[in-house]
Amino acid sequence: MHDGIVLLKALLLSTSQRNIYRHTTDGRKRRRIVANAVGFAFLYLLIMAYCVTMCVGYGVLGMAEAVPALCALTLSALAFVFTLFKTNGYLFNFKEYDMLMSLPFEARTVAGCKFLCMYVKSLLWYASISLSMMVGYGVFAHPPVVAYLAWTVLFLFLPIIPMLAAALVGFLIAKLSAGFKKTNIVQTVLMFAFVLAFFSLRFVMDDLFRNDKVELVLGQMSAMTNDAARSYPPAGWFADAITRSDALGALLLVGVSVALFAIVFRIVGQSYRSINSALRSHAAKGRYHMTAQRRRSVVGAIAFKELKRMTGSSTYMVNGAMGEVLAVLLGVATLVIGFDKIVDTATQGAPIDVATLRPAIPFIVYFLIGMVATTAFSPSLEGKNYWILQSLPIEMRTVYQGKMLFNLCLTVPFMAFATVCLCVSAQVPVLDTALYLLLGLALCAFSTAWGCVCGVRHMRLDWENEVEVIKQGTALVIYLFPNMFVTMGLTVLVVFLGMRFDCRLVALAFTLLATALAALSYLWILRATQRDH
Amino acid sequence: MGNRAMLDIRHYSKSYGAGKKAADDVTLSVMDGDIYGFIGHNGAGKSTTIRAVVGVLDFTDGEIYIDGHSVKDEPMACKRVTAYIPDNPDLYENLTGIQYLNFVADVFGLGSAEREQSIRQYADLFEITDDLGDLIGAYSHGMRQKLAIISALIHDPKLLVLDEPFVGLDPKATFTLKEVMREMCERGAAVFFSTHVLDVAEKLCNKVAIIKQGRIIASGTMEELTEGHSLEETFLEETFLEADGDA
Repeated sequence: MHDGIVLLKALLLSTSQRNIYRHTTDGRKRRRIVANAVGFAFLYLLIMAYCVTMCVGYGVLGMAEAVPALCALTLSALAFVFTLFKTNGYLFNFKEYDMLMSLPFEARTVAGCKFLCMYVKSLLWYASISLSMMVGYGVFAHPPVVAYLAWTVLFLFLPIIPMLAAALVGFLIAKLSAGFKKTNIVQTVLMFAFVLAFFSLRFVMDDLFRNDKVELVLGQMSAMTNDAARSYPPAGWFADAITRSDALGALLLVGVSVALFAIVFRIVGQSYRSINSALRSHAAKGRYHMTAQRRRSVVGAIAFKELKRMTGSSTYMVNGAMGEVLAVLLGVATLVIGFDKIVDTATQGAPIDVATLRPAIPFIVYFLIGMVATTAFSPSLEGKNYWILQSLPIEMRTVYQGKMLFNLCLTVPFMAFATVCLCVSAQVPVLDTALYLLLGLALCAFSTAWGCVCGVRHMRLDWENEVEVIKQGTALVIYLFPNMFVTMGLTVLVVFLGMRFDCRLVALAFTLLATALAALSYLWILRATQRDH
Repeated sequence: MGNRAMLDIRHYSKSYGAGKKAADDVTLSVMDGDIYGFIGHNGAGKSTTIRAVVGVLDFTDGEIYIDGHSVKDEPMACKRVTAYIPDNPDLYENLTGIQYLNFVADVFGLGSAEREQSIRQYADLFEITDDLGDLIGAYSHGMRQKLAIISALIHDPKLLVLDEPFVGLDPKATFTLKEVMREMCERGAAVFFSTHVLDVAEKLCNKVAIIKQGRIIASGTMEELTEGHSLEETFLEETFLEADGDA
């Protein structure tokens, strides 16, 4: 127990920005930390505003009683997804593994503390969602004081079970891939396979659920939320504890979370050393024969280096290429199932003219492709290797051009594939398809350049674990959330505009807008690198 | 030796925060053909100076010139003729050795034949040709050090800057590196390196500077500095004298 506390404290301290702020004498670093904190505070406020608005919606429709279950489900889903993408690199195959394991800690203590560190560092996100929903619930349901107390304590336990489930999946994937030579590739493929299976399962469940209650979709959202909560018992326990002051529900949530934590890390601890040893060892052939070497341009060399950086890290691959994999899946699914059926399923059978949705195709594809731009975290990923680029005779703009080239090479082919698939399936005319491809290209350019702006502005080189910049970095968060919400808004707007104006003109207008924004972002990067220079 | 300053540091100072200076009014010149040793205790300011020379560390006070170009104003011109090997090279672990060398060769614009010949020559010399196809992540500390040295040499720099280059190298590689340094200087290049190994510095360098608490306390040719004593005696004498002076 004492060992665990000591280790957890050290892990939290080693990744704490507050600690850096306190001890650094570098004014620039301090300012950057403050700016990052302000940026995050703004995002927390946005999320809180969104949650309160959602609760108001529930309250106005007289469904305030469903808010605790909604909160539990939201937190659980987020905790599961975020942990799944972070497990490798955080729990396994992390940089300081040798150092930690050489100290007198049990393997399960190290694994458990790494998990708890991940949990504590995500807590502010969960708190911003949960506490704002508690306020929304309080305004409409007028619960007794004890409900607020129970909520404040119990929400801390809500993410544990889904996080443990994700950690267990990550553990199984790591264990399976540890037996292969190309562990990174196998791990990435297994992770993609799991995510796709998970989404497919959810899709099937949604479909079954909808077939059962198709006519009540809008009228019984409250019942749906409660039904979903029943199918995931911890959400039901939480909801019961809040709405019915059910002590048993509270005890079950706390007890099961703690018990599962102990069980999972006993299991993980048993193979922890062997899995990490396999993941961290590299096969050395030692049989290289010098052959003719290929010359590349400097920008090409940087882009190639970035490709090798990506394929060398399953965390990078899973997070950087998830959107592309989903886009391919969407493209193939629309070709096989049909655009109209996909729309029908996604809109829960709402009476929508599928043709009106055609102008949204580039934005639907971009929602997936532009979800993550590698340029948002690749500058930070240089980390301790930054000296190499700094000491070489290349301008930083060239470095960023190489990184942008890599992101374009990664996104454009997948964007083109998915767009063509959707257009073929939706029977979009050839000229419109060409315009959508043009718009997709402009959006990819914007995503690349804007991601790079975020990446350069919020570059952080002093990370201990690459997950800190790939998954949780300020640059990525600042890129991801506004980009995601704006894309959702634009998807609706473009459909609306397409009904009023010529679709081709609308696509052309958005192409020009995206191109202009991409150009502005690119110019900012050029200027910023000139300033640094 | 030579008559052209390959590295000219003039009144360079660097402070971290508002506190003490890590480098204080450092002035020295490395001429073409020089093998210049930079010695001092841990934390004396060697790495801080070296990192500023190679353009990794910003500085405001003083000037540093490489082959007549200002590090502040013309960093690219400086870097094109310089190679740097840090004390503990963090290299791209996900690249193979040959990929990393090709990356550096691409940056310096080396042609295919030229790079092949250069890589082959130095990889054979440091005996890591067989390992070039393996990931750098699988390399030992010594192999990483050798790879960093090869990457520094393949573009034939005019100024080679090394921070504790002999740490982690096996005796054969240490000997090879010293030979390479001598050959470079015979061709008119210059070498500037920090070291704790005074024996090596004494046998290898024609000039030495001793740095203590950020300040150069002695510099000159080996003969001028040692005056018939060993470098170790001179170093201890200089540093203790300074300590007595401080007291």
